Amino acid sequence: MDLKVVDSIINNAQNEGRDHLFETEAKTLISQWDIPVPGSVLVKGSEFPDISVDSIEPPFILKVVSRNILHKTEVGGVISDLGDMDDVRNAIIRMKKDIEKNAPQARIEGFLLEEFVPVGVEVIIGGTRDPQFGPVMMFGTGGVMVELMKDVSFRLAPLDKSESMAMMEDLRGYPLLTGYRGSKPVDREQLASVIMKVSDIITKIKEIREIEINPLFAYEDGVMAVDARVILELEER
Amino acid sequence: MNTGKGMGFFFDPQSIAIIGASPTPGKASHVILDNLRRTGYNGSIYPVNPKYDHIDGMKCYASIADIGKQVDVAIFVLPASKVMEILGGPVENVRGAIIISSGFREVEKGELLEEELKRIAEEKCIRIIGPNCLGIYDAIYGVDTFLVPVEQVKRPKKGGLSILTQSGSFAVLIMDEMATEGIGVARIVSYGNKVDVDEADCLDLLAEDEATRYVLLYIESVENGREFVEAASRCAAKKPVVAIKVGRGEAGMHAARSHTGALGGKYEIYRAAFRKAGIIEVDGYEDLKDACRVLEAYNIVDGNKVLIITDGGGIGVSMADACEDLGLDVRRLSQDSKKRLSSKLPAFSATDNPIDLTASAKDDDYFTALEEGFLNGYDLAIVTVLWGAPALSTRVIDGISEVQNRYNKPVLICSPGGEFTRNKYRLFEEKGMPVFSTPEAGVRAAAVLIGKGTVRDNMSKGAGPWI
Repeated sequence: MDLKVVDSIINNAQNEGRDHLFETEAKTLISQWDIPVPGSVLVKGSEFPDISVDSIEPPFILKVVSRNILHKTEVGGVISDLGDMDDVRNAIIRMKKDIEKNAPQARIEGFLLEEFVPVGVEVIIGGTRDPQFGPVMMFGTGGVMVELMKDVSFRLAPLDKSESMAMMEDLRGYPLLTGYRGSKPVDREQLASVIMKVSDIITKIKEIREIEINPLFAYEDGVMAVDARVILELEER
Repeated sequence: MNTGKGMGFFFDPQSIAIIGASPTPGKASHVILDNLRRTGYNGSIYPVNPKYDHIDGMKCYASIADIGKQVDVAIFVLPASKVMEILGGPVENVRGAIIISSGFREVEKGELLEEELKRIAEEKCIRIIGPNCLGIYDAIYGVDTFLVPVEQVKRPKKGGLSILTQSGSFAVLIMDEMATEGIGVARIVSYGNKVDVDEADCLDLLAEDEATRYVLLYIESVENGREFVEAASRCAAKKPVVAIKVGRGEAGMHAARSHTGALGGKYEIYRAAFRKAGIIEVDGYEDLKDACRVLEAYNIVDGNKVLIITDGGGIGVSMADACEDLGLDVRRLSQDSKKRLSSKLPAFSATDNPIDLTASAKDDDYFTALEEGFLNGYDLAIVTVLWGAPALSTRVIDGISEVQNRYNKPVLICSPGGEFTRNKYRLFEEKGMPVFSTPEAGVRAAAVLIGKGTVRDNMSKGAGPWI
């Protein structure tokens, strides 16, 4: 990993008085630990007519980048299934309008144009810093049921591979990972490796109070961090 | 005993002073004096109170300094302000203090007083247990600072269980229960507000303590979480550490800004800490008592394979269910074993796991089944004895015990039933086999011996803490 990149992301956010990283920043941060993230291009406010998308393949998904919006979907900040540049331009216009309506105070920093990734088994991997016990890891099944079922497991960080594997086995939803009703088992080795990487991040980077990859798609052969969130320690803490 | 960052002297003190001693029977300080003498403490006892020359025929000193000799442990049973005043004075001859008095952090405005107490202790190099605690019950050296009368709360016999607790009332309750259950205790520490000595200090001490065979922790809150986990890991590597966590309903650890925060409460983090340390967590008082009973009888086993023998099909099935829920391995018997058992057991027996001897079970059938199981690598057995089987006699108890001794593997008895059945409990327990009156309790106790529950991670590493 390149700790200089990590430092500069965190410093930049702190200098701007933000207590969280933008999704783009959070993804750049986790990709320093080789956690796979979708290919993307950052579109700044005014330059959208000239986006160069040679580096990424359609279909695209467009997400708003704003310091004031933590839950993008709720304000119309996510539009998916964009086939070409015309779709992208139209989506940007629509998104601007929707956000002006749903979150008039929100300042739009730009737009994240990402490659759409195929849906996998959804899981959540999180790390947080407990005042008594220090860094703690969370792993859970994702999707719409997660909040209802609270199917999550906790371990103190840092943790090793067998502890990461045991976190998965703790879950009621474990069969989703081992193959359920004909679905193929997902790559649990990779999942364990991402848990250990996030554990490494929350253990080493003291400025981070909370980190979460949600959802992480798990496939038969690999994983993809679809969304990532990082909350920083506030200065006054 | 002088480990645990130099606090071992609390348990084998050469001298104890009771500050605020009173000749009045029934007063706290007098109860402590009585208890110390009754428990058989054979070091020096110094009552301290300027109001008296003698108490119960013992010389009473006007002040700590007047004693003129080293005081290993000074027990304070005085109002908080008085404690502060005395500790602020000449106490150079005091190594450690047990401050039973309340009126510190637990009350309004007591926090400042407690900070001051901490400062004095550091400055004068006095180790402190408490305040707001009961102190120490040490069956090994006969130290008893608990201000509860022996007539009302029995003291347990000498044994291998040590208990660490924040709560004084829990200390009293568990002490009484253990005495009644016949479970022996080594050391009990009620450390209250933990101004100095905390659970990590005590765990380090107990890890090295030969008299302590297993440890019971009663946890309300832990402040220095990482230190606790490290000390508990060191202790759990040497002997079983069982914990009960109360106050689970604390609010979530962070505002619900993300799932990581929203989905976890403080209790989940305690559980994670217990797992990390290799602590066996039990759920509630009943389980706690059962865990102590089973750890009293047996050592932890290093495998996971449970054999169930029963003379009633239904209860065997519910036991197998409970085993699966707790992640215990109720694997089937080998074909060879089944064949051998079929030739020896009654015709309708189920020679699987559970082995169901049915109501036609005879005493010998139990021995045959148990022996076959142990020969085939099962790590422990839960044996259900339903006395409804007409051919059973009390000889079955001796026989099971004999096989148990020969293989030196744990046998837990599960024997639900009424008056006749309950009258047989004592006979099993005289043979050292704990009896459980529900299938679930028997299985949970088995899980304790297997170190299941919160320590599964360590077990799966093949390096369970005590293996």
